[in-house]
Amino acid sequence: MHKTRNLILTVISVILFALFLNKAPEILNGYWLRIFNLIAINAILALSLNLIYGITGMFSLGHAGFMAIGAYVSALLILPPAQKAAMWILEPIYPFMLNLNTPFIISLIIAGIAAAFFGMLVAIPVLRLGGDYLGIATLGFAEIIRIIITNMTRLTNGSLGLKGIPAYTDLYMSWGCFAVILLCTVCMLNSNFGNILRAVRDDEVAAKMMGVNIFKVKVIAFTLGCFGAGLGGALMGNLITTIDPKMFMITQTYNILMIIVVGGLGSVTGSIIGSFLITIMLEWLRFVENPITIGSFEIPGIPGMRMVIFSLLLIVVIIFRREGIMGTREFSWDIFFPKSKAKKSKPVQNYDHVLEVEHVKLKFGGLTAIEDLNFNIDAGQIIGLIGPNGAGKTSAFNVISGFYKPTEGRIKFLGKQIGGLSPDQVCKAGMSRTFQNIRLFGTETALQNVTVGSWVRQKNSWWMSLLPFIFTDVLREDSEMKTQAMNLLEQLGLSEYANEKASALPYGAQRRLEIARALGTRPKFLLLDEPAAGMNPNESHELMEFIKRLRDEFKLTILLIEHDMKVVMNVCDYIHVLDQGVHIAQGTPSEIRANKKVIEAYLGAGASSENSQEAKF
Amino acid sequence: MLKINDLNIFYGAIHAVRNVSLEIQQGDIVTLIGANGAGKSSVIRSIMGLVKINSGEIIYTPKNGKPVNISNMPVENRVKSGIALSPEGRRILPQLTVEENLKLGAYIRNDVSGILSDIDYVYTLFPRLKERRKQKGSTLSGGEQQMLALGRALMSRPDLLMLDEPSLGLAPILVDEVFEIIREINSQGKTILLVEQNAWAALKIAKRAYVLETGSINISGTGQELLNDPKIRAAYLGG
Amino acid sequence: MTLNIFVQHFVNALSLGSLYGLISIGYTMVYGILRLINFAHGDIFMLGAYFVFFATIVYKLNWILGVIIAIAATTICGLLVDRIAYRPLRQAPRISALISAIGVSFFIENFAVVVFTGMPRPVVQPKILMKPIILPNKVRLIPLGILVPVVAFILVAALLWLLYKTKPGLAMRAISFDIETTRMLGVDVNKIIALAFGLGSALAAVAGILWALRYPRVEPFMGMTPGIKAFIAAVFGGIGSIPGAMIGGIILGFVEIMSVAFFPNLSGYKDAFAFFLLIVILLFKPTGILGSKIEDKI
Repeated sequence: MHKTRNLILTVISVILFALFLNKAPEILNGYWLRIFNLIAINAILALSLNLIYGITGMFSLGHAGFMAIGAYVSALLILPPAQKAAMWILEPIYPFMLNLNTPFIISLIIAGIAAAFFGMLVAIPVLRLGGDYLGIATLGFAEIIRIIITNMTRLTNGSLGLKGIPAYTDLYMSWGCFAVILLCTVCMLNSNFGNILRAVRDDEVAAKMMGVNIFKVKVIAFTLGCFGAGLGGALMGNLITTIDPKMFMITQTYNILMIIVVGGLGSVTGSIIGSFLITIMLEWLRFVENPITIGSFEIPGIPGMRMVIFSLLLIVVIIFRREGIMGTREFSWDIFFPKSKAKKSKPVQNYDHVLEVEHVKLKFGGLTAIEDLNFNIDAGQIIGLIGPNGAGKTSAFNVISGFYKPTEGRIKFLGKQIGGLSPDQVCKAGMSRTFQNIRLFGTETALQNVTVGSWVRQKNSWWMSLLPFIFTDVLREDSEMKTQAMNLLEQLGLSEYANEKASALPYGAQRRLEIARALGTRPKFLLLDEPAAGMNPNESHELMEFIKRLRDEFKLTILLIEHDMKVVMNVCDYIHVLDQGVHIAQGTPSEIRANKKVIEAYLGAGASSENSQEAKF
Repeated sequence: MLKINDLNIFYGAIHAVRNVSLEIQQGDIVTLIGANGAGKSSVIRSIMGLVKINSGEIIYTPKNGKPVNISNMPVENRVKSGIALSPEGRRILPQLTVEENLKLGAYIRNDVSGILSDIDYVYTLFPRLKERRKQKGSTLSGGEQQMLALGRALMSRPDLLMLDEPSLGLAPILVDEVFEIIREINSQGKTILLVEQNAWAALKIAKRAYVLETGSINISGTGQELLNDPKIRAAYLGG
Repeated sequence: MTLNIFVQHFVNALSLGSLYGLISIGYTMVYGILRLINFAHGDIFMLGAYFVFFATIVYKLNWILGVIIAIAATTICGLLVDRIAYRPLRQAPRISALISAIGVSFFIENFAVVVFTGMPRPVVQPKILMKPIILPNKVRLIPLGILVPVVAFILVAALLWLLYKTKPGLAMRAISFDIETTRMLGVDVNKIIALAFGLGSALAAVAGILWALRYPRVEPFMGMTPGIKAFIAAVFGGIGSIPGAMIGGIILGFVEIMSVAFFPNLSGYKDAFAFFLLIVILLFKPTGILGSKIEDKI
């Protein structure tokens, strides 16, 4: 099995690296030892920022602030009382802080927790903002943290900083902490919770529709990332032995950002490679700032040159190789070995239910998108919702699936009132949907896309995935979900793509994968938004059979928006027609085709009277 | 005046326009009809240069000029050589006044007095716009916005005027009015390419018509011929 | 607090606020069009200060000539930044341009260290700007303190004239709502974006020059904090709105100066006020005072 092989290879390389670290103090000089410590610390910081930004997609510029919290908490906990008493010269230290003293490891953990706690406090209000605003707000918080540290002299010794911190950080500590963080990160990212994080980054709307509580997931990821920042900051303080507020300016965040951008946003391997590269390069580049002697010439060092080269590199990387070294890929031993594939088979379920849309009206400001929509759907039917451009079909979908709140009217699903529930709640109630313009989680594999759908059914909590060796049930549940997802892919003829990135799939397969993902939530009711869009006549012909098969095999009720009338007329049992928000007609396909109002809505006024008699349908 | 040969457009993996060829003669109204999602807008937008084409050529012959392949011409040069588009959804600039929207339409021109007289001309076509000339675009009704989009497209003094779904979302009474105005603009010498979902109205005024179905043209003919062709309805409502 | 001291604070607040306002206009124009936080803008401001320093103090040109050269040189730098670091990324995800902006900011700061050295340099203030004018009630005013807001208001008025009364201004406003439609009407979009960068940089240069006179020294990292604060002012006033940027800047100036004036023991937290204001406004009115909604598409 290639899994065993990979595990052995991993264990061997970890042992080799540990042996190297064990011998390192004898082989390497102080300069290189420091670099190796810094690599581990930077890798911790990079992994944590990558978790926040690269993997969950929250643009945070606040890392330095959380590092500062960690560094100060740890330093205050391990400085000996006598040293503290001597160091606070401007104002005396708080007495209760004076005698506080803990072992280094405890101080590290408390440092991480403190940073995580403040991280959570920041996250809860700020994560409501998106994109750039989030970046600026977190940048603001980092500055506020720094300014508070500067001013709380009795606690932090103000701008003088803390000196003579015991240099506890050695290769064992730094790489040990790194190993723990790496292990937890990798386990988490490989669990279904990891899929959820990436899903939130790739497409928030779609993730919501898969039943994910986006806000909660984001707060968790942000808090975990801040834990890493605090830990890294603490280790760094103990390596350098001196900290002051100036150390944690925005520049510090930029350095970490640089590492994850060069390594590849979203790639753990990339963060590690980036840490090696950037840390070594930053140290090595110091030569440009020192005088160089070539023969009898002496070139004076140029202060600032190091960062000039460094920033140019960042610009060049972002312009010419935006995805960094690894992109979102990860290292795997498999690249050294030829590929092989996996397989398995079948479950089926049973349901029964109804959707009732009662006098639903939807307004945006003064604009009426839907005017009094009223219909019922019985179990096992395929219902079409059609109408010309701008008729309000997608709005109707968005109301039913919880994306918009109806202005008036009620929606009952399986007898339960759902109008006004949020998309993730509607999803949990047993409804799922696809989107007009495919919204897959592009960077995740087909299999992962489908497993995201199983999140709503998952029983274990997210934090168990950090320590799967203790909570082995997580692994069992995850693999169960994976098997179910694999079965789904197989039923929909997608198993060959299971491990391909969703965005790399052929168009038709992407459409089917979106349906598979929706089925992953085990819905009783499926909404399909223009499944035939962009398909050629052959593909849309296949689609018709496929939709019917879906209904039968998965015991679904399907509501379908479609412009391709061949598809609609062929698969639907019953059709509702909207025009400019008004429910103008309903009936069987043949009734609809002969309906005057419908013909006029589609072909323009007068069309039905002049020519409809001789027209052949 | 305009000739398209074997045009193909892809959006990622979607083949939106398949080997489309069509021709527009000087002074005609030509219409491109078809159901939603058939690729009409893609064709018209590629003529304007807003969509990259993957293969094929677009050959445009300006008034008193030689044929040029404009497939790779920057948008602003296409405007200068006499092509204008009134886009789908009107795309009125919401925070600009009616008059500013019109002036923006004349961006490529520098003849101040000519521009002013053309603004007056637009106001005579659409008296309602004159009443609202100082109002912001976002305060106009759908019909008024459509008139403004039409007027704005006229402001660059185009030879080829392209209209993408001018009747979309309008009340039936306004639809008739808009088509009446299109005919009037045409009678004053402008060549018109009309993309419409409202097939019957378009066919009635079109000299020549092309029907797009899932990205390719399968039916073409004069407007009159197609008005009586049952295949049209099939293209829209399935068959 | 005597009247004299209050007037001093008031004038200080007004001129600090107008400086923030001048810088924030550059942010707001670029953000309004490209949705890009031009992190390098604060450093462009720094360049303006350095250029005037070199022109007048090192090369001893007269002030008027020096100011003109400094503005021109800064504007060229702003245009180059757009051309080299941002234009290639127009089609890229917005976050790429943002990271590029961070890189450019880093680059300019450190390049300044290389070329100008990291040492702060004192600026000799022209005497005419520093000689106090005595008003009734023993109120003393320094001409520079009045010059700053006056220049700022004249420039904003000129900019508004340009935006609302000229053709390129019309195109610039149009672009900030709908780039594609504007292009379709025959506007060379890249040129207009460059114009926005150029104007923003010129205003930042003026702010840099006035800043260098007011706090008489220049150093390579002097743009960082005012830059970030000016961006905050832009968000505060409503991003995309030029009067908003100016109002946001002035409010920020008053908050900083007055809070320290009335509560001197808060002076250590002065730099935190801006961020605090920012977070409050983002949470309660993300569109700012004069801003219109910037839509996020579903």
